[in-house]
Amino acid sequence: MTATISVAGLTRRYRDHLALDDITVDLEDASITGLLGRNGAGKSTLMRILAAQEFPSAGRVRVLGENPMENDAILRRIVLVREDQLFPDFRVYQALRAASWCYPAWDDGLARSLVADFDLPANRLIKKLSRGMRSALGIVIGLAAQADVTLFDEPYAGLDAVARQIFYDRLLADYAAHPRTVVLSTHLIDEVADLLERVVMIDRGRVVLDGPADDVRGSATTVSGPAVVVEQFVGARQTWGRRRLDPGPGAPAPLGTVVAAGGHGARRQP
Amino acid sequence: MTASINAARYHLAQRFNYLVLPWMVLLFAFLADIVILELTPAGNDPNRWVGGLASIYCVIFICGVVSVARSLPFGLALGLSRRSYYSGTALLAVALGASYGLVITALQAIERATHGWGIDMAFFRVPYILEGPWYITWLTSAVAMMLLFAYGMWFGLVFRRWGLAGVIAFAAAQVTLVIVGAVVATWADAWASIGHFFHTLSASGLSGVLVVLLLALLVGGFATMRRVTV
Repeated sequence: MTATISVAGLTRRYRDHLALDDITVDLEDASITGLLGRNGAGKSTLMRILAAQEFPSAGRVRVLGENPMENDAILRRIVLVREDQLFPDFRVYQALRAASWCYPAWDDGLARSLVADFDLPANRLIKKLSRGMRSALGIVIGLAAQADVTLFDEPYAGLDAVARQIFYDRLLADYAAHPRTVVLSTHLIDEVADLLERVVMIDRGRVVLDGPADDVRGSATTVSGPAVVVEQFVGARQTWGRRRLDPGPGAPAPLGTVVAAGGHGARRQP
Repeated sequence: MTASINAARYHLAQRFNYLVLPWMVLLFAFLADIVILELTPAGNDPNRWVGGLASIYCVIFICGVVSVARSLPFGLALGLSRRSYYSGTALLAVALGASYGLVITALQAIERATHGWGIDMAFFRVPYILEGPWYITWLTSAVAMMLLFAYGMWFGLVFRRWGLAGVIAFAAAQVTLVIVGAVVATWADAWASIGHFFHTLSASGLSGVLVVLLLALLVGGFATMRRVTV
């Protein structure tokens, strides 16, 4: 089966730094993939190249089987929600109306119910919205577009915890009703961990982790307790870190914490 | 094709900016010119031509700039390719130019019929450029408008790609080109023939020159568009 998103040897070089370095990733249809990485790792650059908003320096990009660059037929099946999206002097309803023209599968009912959920004032100028509301608007557009490839680039900048939960719930509900390829880049790993089916981690422009979320979850664990018991448990397993609390004299036994690897790990790239 | 139409519709979601504002500014310039003509010494001049018509052309230029400088990022985010965005915006320029040119032609006819709005003011009857039969007036005013919109688009694209410094460099490059042209004309002793060319240029000939300029601007703008990112 052809992957929905297929990237091979993708490189993006800027004058003073290398944003993406020889990335090769294949993402199948009907999956929610988490794109993880530190600030400046290259997540946004990758997503923008997938949405044809950025140009690759080298490598091959295929979305839905074709190169998305300047490809109207493919581009109208891709939506990218960016946290730093610049809008013209639109009001909220004008942005939604423009999006409804450009995305053939636009779901107006869903858009209206999401606007209500996020409490967005339809008549307000977008530049007068708070940061969180602008993010909410981006999310409304991303979900209501019903695009075959839906890319979220840290879409919840400024969203409060309640609104974030609304986003996760609505995303999951819509994904269950209309399975498609969703890529979600995030820092808030704990919150989205349960949503993700697949994890791709990027560090300094290279893919360092790529595998099913379950495998990644099962590949490491944290063990805490009395130091002696912890050491016994860990044995010869590979560990990422150790911490040891030595209490003063005349106190109970020292405690230790270890992050240990075990079980089937995800494919790690050197 | 649909994507181009969507791009044009996208701009018109800001109906006020493109459809109302130019005429509001024109009305303001019109009223200002009446006041100047009637209430200031400028009215003592036998030449009754006032320059207020230029105002709507300035606004159209600004519309061209804004159609890219402010509107491009969200347009690309909506899945429009650069080519479609550009052709859709150019389509809007042509449509606006053609329809607004027609309105200007109609207003010129009314001006003629009312003997200059009752005060012998030549607002729409621009000497040399908008003289002649109505269809030439339409052609010239329409093409000039499309040209200024396209010129604004190109400035907007240069701004998107290279920022303020880029815009200044762009303007400076054009000025340099004009100066170089003037120097070459001086060396080649060509001023007489240049002057002769423009003197014998009919109004329709002028439109032809403007169309060539318009096509050059559209090609240049597209070259800048191809590698723009937001």
